[in-house]
Amino acid sequence: MPTLEKAGVCCLAFAILGRNRLYNTESSKPDLSFVRARRSTLIVQRITFHLNMEQVVFESVRKIFRHRPAMFNWLGRERSGETLALKGLSFSAGGSEVIALLGPNGSGKTTTLKLLSTLLLPDAGSVRVGSFDTRNHPYHVRRQVGVAVATERSFFPRLSARENLDFFATLDEVAHTERNVRINQVLQDTGLEEQVDTLVMKFSSGMYQRLGIARALMKRPSVLLLDEPTRSLDAATTAHFWTTIRALSQRGTTILLATHNFAEAAAVAHRILLLHRGELLADRKIALTETAESIRSFYFNTTGEVDESHAASLHRMEP
Amino acid sequence: MTSTLDKLYAILRRDLLTAIRYRSGFVVNIVGVFTELAAFYFLSRAIGPGFRPGGVEFFPFLLVGTGLYTFFLMSAQAFLSAMQEAQQTGTLEVLMTTSTAPAELIVLSAISAFAGNLVNLLVYLFAGVAVFRAATHANLLSCILVLSFSLTIALSFGIAAASLQVAFQKGSAVLWLFGSGLWFLSGTMFPVQSLPRPLELLARALPLTYAIEGMRKALLDGQSVADMAPTLVILAGFATVLLPSTLATLSWSLQRARQNGTLSFY
Repeated sequence: MPTLEKAGVCCLAFAILGRNRLYNTESSKPDLSFVRARRSTLIVQRITFHLNMEQVVFESVRKIFRHRPAMFNWLGRERSGETLALKGLSFSAGGSEVIALLGPNGSGKTTTLKLLSTLLLPDAGSVRVGSFDTRNHPYHVRRQVGVAVATERSFFPRLSARENLDFFATLDEVAHTERNVRINQVLQDTGLEEQVDTLVMKFSSGMYQRLGIARALMKRPSVLLLDEPTRSLDAATTAHFWTTIRALSQRGTTILLATHNFAEAAAVAHRILLLHRGELLADRKIALTETAESIRSFYFNTTGEVDESHAASLHRMEP
Repeated sequence: MTSTLDKLYAILRRDLLTAIRYRSGFVVNIVGVFTELAAFYFLSRAIGPGFRPGGVEFFPFLLVGTGLYTFFLMSAQAFLSAMQEAQQTGTLEVLMTTSTAPAELIVLSAISAFAGNLVNLLVYLFAGVAVFRAATHANLLSCILVLSFSLTIALSFGIAAASLQVAFQKGSAVLWLFGSGLWFLSGTMFPVQSLPRPLELLARALPLTYAIEGMRKALLDGQSVADMAPTLVILAGFATVLLPSTLATLSWSLQRARQNGTLSFY
């Protein structure tokens, strides 16, 4: 085994052994270890990249949504034609990489995540997870991919948090003997341990969202897809969630995160994919010194969109 | 490794927990069963003992016909409602990203919905016999065979409804078929021999007609498997053709929805 790979194995083992410590960080504490954690994640990521290359591959992926209006369309004027959601998208992501998908509404972020989760099939090109193509081996892909979508109410309302997680874990083929341990672990990670036996119909929006993240973590996926995961979360839970994301990345999980939150991208991502109208405008690594503000500037400069909040703040500063 | 049986248990448990936590729904269901039975009991008394379709009393005749018809209709309705609700809440999409194959998931969910309604059917028949004194002369083996084939056929209808729902968002078309034409064509309330010849021929093309006829022969007439072999063979034929073909349709509609991005459309 080459020296570099030996070093990679050691680092990976160290990261795995240290995961509990990272997992058990209390949500109420300020996240002062952020830069240190980012740095160690990057080191591990760079080395393990050689061990676990290209966990996710998009090759010239095109996705078209066709609008077929119902009969008597003159009555309601439903839109016809088609939307080109992705125009030959190509990128790859290595093991333990965290990639932030940025872009305005309708740019193709959710379509990208849906293609990876096998909910959609590409019209051209290929999508692979590990060595499995999503079209030909959807079962093997789904075994590796965990999804936390923004849809709040995607649970069974008259089951408790534990019962919901147990149900989805069974469908995800998590061994019966492991389910309880994992449920307790993910509920602790998402700060829901006190609501374990509460019916989810009594949950708030933020709690639903946390439970969605817990569900995605239950099968310990090698690829985690997150669609605006912190949209309804409070500040402390968001900080704790980012810590969890960094810990997962250190364990080798590839994470694709669709977000509009520049602070989130700066906090957890190693790379940004900037999508605009189905095209990849930029694929850029994030430096350790990167801030939410610099990503924001990059976003608006690259997409050409007008940053009205920035313009407004300049306007306020005028004498 | 989680087996298909574990998954089925998980789905049955989910549906049972959901059902018993709708406390009022449970009570309403029981009241509904007794109200319906009472209505049919007094209807048969009003008509009088002279009317004996197929040589059996009218109330037991109605008990079997309406029981099986309601089982077919309510099972398909319950399954379809659950599926539409899952589409609306986004649960369906999440379920489709689990390690369980979508077609397997839908079939297991359908089995659970139909199992719940099978319990309803058994309660209905038991209450009819125990409370309203419906005269029966059951052959247990024949009853089990008729019930098994009927369950398979009903399951196929449920899967067909799910396929239509996924492909065209029109699963309720199957319910319309049940609700509008089947109840009077399938001999639910009177023998199909009473229908004009063309309608009787149409009735003979429906699996529900044979399911109801078979259950009357097995439960009320006590016919043995050998006696009612022709009915059982026809039911087996329907089950053998309908289940694989509806499963194939379901696979096609799921693939189509993944291609078109319409899985969550409702």
